[in-house]
Amino acid sequence: MIVFEKVYFSYNRREVLKGVSFSAEFHERVAVLGGSGEGKTTILRLIMGLIRPDEGRIFVDGEDITAKRENELREVRMKFNIVFQEGALFDSLNVKENVAYCLREYTKMSEEEIDAKVRQLLSTVGVGQALELMPEELSGGMHRRVSLARSLALTTPRMFLYDEPTTGLDPVNADRICRLIADLSQNGKGFIMVTHKVSDAMKVADRFIFLKEGELLFDGNRQELLNADIPDVKFFIREMSPHGPSDAK
Amino acid sequence: MDIKETIRDLQDFYSLSLSGLAGIVRRPFYFKDAVLQMDYAGAGSLLIVFIVDLFVGMALSLQLSAELSSLGLKMYIGMIVGISVVRELGPVVTAVVFTGRVGAGMASELGSMVLGNQVDVIRVFGFDPVKKLVTPRIISSLIMLPALTIIGVAVSLLGGYYIAVYVSHQSGSFYWSSIRNILTLENVLAGAIKPFVFGYLISCICCYTGLSTKGGSVGLRQSTTKAVVMSIAMIIISDFLLTRVLLYVLGFSV
Repeated sequence: MIVFEKVYFSYNRREVLKGVSFSAEFHERVAVLGGSGEGKTTILRLIMGLIRPDEGRIFVDGEDITAKRENELREVRMKFNIVFQEGALFDSLNVKENVAYCLREYTKMSEEEIDAKVRQLLSTVGVGQALELMPEELSGGMHRRVSLARSLALTTPRMFLYDEPTTGLDPVNADRICRLIADLSQNGKGFIMVTHKVSDAMKVADRFIFLKEGELLFDGNRQELLNADIPDVKFFIREMSPHGPSDAK
Repeated sequence: MDIKETIRDLQDFYSLSLSGLAGIVRRPFYFKDAVLQMDYAGAGSLLIVFIVDLFVGMALSLQLSAELSSLGLKMYIGMIVGISVVRELGPVVTAVVFTGRVGAGMASELGSMVLGNQVDVIRVFGFDPVKKLVTPRIISSLIMLPALTIIGVAVSLLGGYYIAVYVSHQSGSFYWSSIRNILTLENVLAGAIKPFVFGYLISCICCYTGLSTKGGSVGLRQSTTKAVVMSIAMIIISDFLLTRVLLYVLGFSV
């Protein structure tokens, strides 16, 4: 379980999160909604211990991770798979080397075993043909799918974290990523997906959190979101769904 | 300027410099990364070092030739070129070229890795970014800058030889015997220690500024510029301090 207790975080003297509190079970399928710069990505980075809050505490599986040192955080990080916005592939390595990166460093697998594992992972995410391509030769959707394959190479996570997984993608590719997210979230593995695309969030998530200027304005299920009587939430859903709230449904 | 932020920056810089250096002797070792960096820093910089040092040697010899001929002292060209190049110009010019090519590359590469979340990915995978990214670059600079300096010094002396013999019409064998005479242990040591210090400074400054990149393409431009400017300033300042210390330690009278 992840618990945020009155978490504050500021960047360059700007308050990004202002006393955010929520909790999420590992099996939950959560979408964090909000406009750009509202602190959505910050939540994922805090869960992974990549940044520390100014105030408040964050618990993962009952452990307070806010005071943990960098070398103690590895165990916490292994509970998650994070897919960063744009994929964050190593641009000096081809697709195969990107996916094999951790396998080479942490396992004693032979080259043949690594090759087989990489092929299997890439075909799981539907980019088996991209083995020798460099990151700059991949489309946005392929980037994210390769990134997902890379994060799956070493760990069997308890939860996935997605940072704007469909942003910048055409509807076909966005839909493909959503299906992949839904497939991976079976077997009791949940996710926290940060996005401003309400329609994509509606396709995969069961629970929705809405952030505005660093404050948590809404936390509820799909029906509660659609019926929310909060002007900012209503406005956001109307603006971010291509054809209005009916599209979101 | 925010004093607190400056102090924090300095602390972070010292911490990165020391842990980067300690990474050379602490497990895990990333030999492959170090070899890749050495290839980029060494083999890739050879041509530009060759060209710049050749012309610096020729220009120096030409200037000396013009001045010394009016005094009838042209026979000292070899000696003065030798001392200047071995002790001072060779290490400094090569380090400045190294900063422009390799240091700027380090800062921009690491900066773009930060902006593209690649450094975060390294942390998520459980690697220490300093060990994985900074230590191989320190190793590569500590090995390649001295190697390039040796080549640069040799090329500069050759450039000086060409001007002394074919433009200033001096005896070639006298030029080389003057060079041989100044290649004493003291002179060689005075020049040989510098590239190690410069290499360490360049790699630490450029890695630090690269890893502290913030704010998109403008931030990347600023951090690359800062890395080059600070490295060159530190090369010049540390060169003076090293010269002062080495002259004293090696027993030269000033």
